[in-house]
Amino acid sequence: MHSTRHGWKWLLSAPALVVLVLAASGPLLIVLVYSFLTPGNMGGVAWVPTGEAWFRVFFKRDLFEPDVITWNDANLMVLWRSVWLSLQTTVICAVLGFPTAWFIATRPPTNRPFWLFLITIPFWTNILIRTFAIQEMIRNNGTLNTLLDWLGLISAPLDLLFTDFAILLGMAYVFLPLMVLPLYAAMEKLDFRLVEAAYDLYASRRRALWHVILPMVKPGFIAGSILVFIPAIGSYVTPRVLGGGRTMMLGNLIALQFGQGRNWPLGAALSVMLLVIVTAALVLYLRTVSKESGGPRG
Amino acid sequence: MSAEIEISGLSKVFGQGAGAFHALSGIYLTIETGEFFTLLGPSGCGKTTLLRMIAGFEQPTAGTLRINGEEVAGKGPNARPVNTVFQNYALFPHMSVRDNIGFGLKMLGRPRAEVAATVDEMLRLVRMEAMATRKPSELSGGQQQRVALARALAPRPRVLLLDEPLSALDLKLRKEMQSELKRLQVETGITFVFVTHDQEEALTMSDRIAVMNAGRILQLGTPHEIYNTPSDRFVAGFIGDTNVLSLAVASSGVDGVTLAVPGAGTLPAASLDGLTLLVGQTVTAVVRPEQARLCPLAEADLTATLEQTVFFGTDTHLHLRLADGQGFILRRQNAADEVDPAPGDRLGLRLARGALRVLRD
Ligand SMILES: Nc1ncnc2c1ncn2[C@@H]1O[C@H](COP(=O)(O)OP(=O)(O)O)[C@@H](O)[C@H]1O
Ligand SMILES: [Mg+2]
Repeated sequence: MHSTRHGWKWLLSAPALVVLVLAASGPLLIVLVYSFLTPGNMGGVAWVPTGEAWFRVFFKRDLFEPDVITWNDANLMVLWRSVWLSLQTTVICAVLGFPTAWFIATRPPTNRPFWLFLITIPFWTNILIRTFAIQEMIRNNGTLNTLLDWLGLISAPLDLLFTDFAILLGMAYVFLPLMVLPLYAAMEKLDFRLVEAAYDLYASRRRALWHVILPMVKPGFIAGSILVFIPAIGSYVTPRVLGGGRTMMLGNLIALQFGQGRNWPLGAALSVMLLVIVTAALVLYLRTVSKESGGPRG
Repeated sequence: MSAEIEISGLSKVFGQGAGAFHALSGIYLTIETGEFFTLLGPSGCGKTTLLRMIAGFEQPTAGTLRINGEEVAGKGPNARPVNTVFQNYALFPHMSVRDNIGFGLKMLGRPRAEVAATVDEMLRLVRMEAMATRKPSELSGGQQQRVALARALAPRPRVLLLDEPLSALDLKLRKEMQSELKRLQVETGITFVFVTHDQEEALTMSDRIAVMNAGRILQLGTPHEIYNTPSDRFVAGFIGDTNVLSLAVASSGVDGVTLAVPGAGTLPAASLDGLTLLVGQTVTAVVRPEQARLCPLAEADLTATLEQTVFFGTDTHLHLRLADGQGFILRRQNAADEVDPAPGDRLGLRLARGALRVLRD
């Protein structure tokens, strides 16, 4: 009796296991294996195991003297830029997302769905189209420059496109809703009587925000930051369209290896690197957060 | 004594146009320094709204509000020498008991050493020294209540506002906290404005009570005045048990009125000042259940038939019916040597002097 029940339970979770193995672990495993193989001549891989791809993620050999090994600063630069731009994107989204979410959370309950609905409108269009729209706005004789010129604020067009600024603008725009929604969810649960209690106890608006509201909506910030940072660091479309070829991010570098570069193992190794960075960031973040809010219980 | 809070012509309207709701209308009230003042009324009568206006969370639609002689209109809650104990405590969940209690002083920019010393003093005052490092979620309801009190008292406000602070506690704890609150008020000398819908709580704790209904103050007075000389039918019914009778005026003169009691002649009645009564007019009169006692039929003011007895431990309620069919409840202290009358018995009642009171309707 007992064992049959167990058997059934196992069967019920089978679909989930299949999905986990095939959809999540399977491809990851393939990527990991490929990163230790030799590039094929016309792309693909040759089944000759080597650590060369991993070596090339970090180091390079001098073109003429193969024994002279130096850091592969081009790759490392891209790695660093990806992390840095994604961090900046997360901060920008948090700074813009907080007042936005606050605005929605303080509307009368009947009006909130309308404002949330507005937040989700960008999701209706393909990211590529939205990104090209931004390109159109900020290019040299695009909407923004034309407007500024017409207002007499500038004499020569601002070089905005194909800069880090353009990438940040695009990423912040794309990922902002991912920050707003969890922040809103946290604020909706916020007990506004606590804010009143803070005012009652002589807090100014700013100090009520700092000492009561921010700590209370921290879970929203955590969720939002994770939701923004992770896709941001793997961005492909935004740096491609708004950064041009000039400013690359990790996603573009990986795509390059699988395309023109014809070095699948290197692409695979870089993909694993991406995964490692994301995981490390997550662990680090959650650690510091739980250390802060935890403490001995009981 | 001097006036701590002076409220004059205060009213509050929520919403506009057809949906406008008059939560408070024409409130005049003076609360003395060091007083334990209670706002008593049924749920929805505007007690919280009045308290929130004193605290500064709501702005009055009309009227003036002075605290310690100073008009406070336009001043926010953080600029008023008033602290609130919220209905559900509203303790900061992410802060320890210590940090909760010290919050107000910290916001006032007091030096660290002073904050720490005051917090220690408050912890002692509410007997929570052992819990100082806990988070609110690790406390029982009664303990949270004490922390909320300490937090509101720590900045030494002139006035402490308490919005039904005991309503979430069970009966035993509530009784305990009632005396605790009273002790704190006497010890600190701070003016307490206490909100409750529990008449017993109001009677036992207050120096003065304002009985409210539907956004108005119906009666203002000491617990004795409110209980013994209710000004109208609502107050009489809301404070304690009472018998409400419809009786005809038999005579009306300078030395008082007499009322015709069915099947028992006439009885003298105490009447409200300024109430002119005509002979023959039917008026509402009230008698407290404990102000009537059983007596031999020959000496009776009233006679009635017993329908039911309800035992309450210390006393018994006799449910009686008068000759004209009106119900009457008599409360009798239980004594070991007494025999309770049986249903169907005809009983004689005697009323205490001044027990029968004519009310404004
Ligand atoms: N912000 C508000 N908007 C509209 N109506 C309100 C608001 N606050 C209170 N009220 C109404 O005012 C009346 C009095 O409320 P309240 O002061 O909370 O009563 P009490 O504390 O005596 O139970 C209630 O009918 C309530 O619905
Ligand atoms: Mg209330």
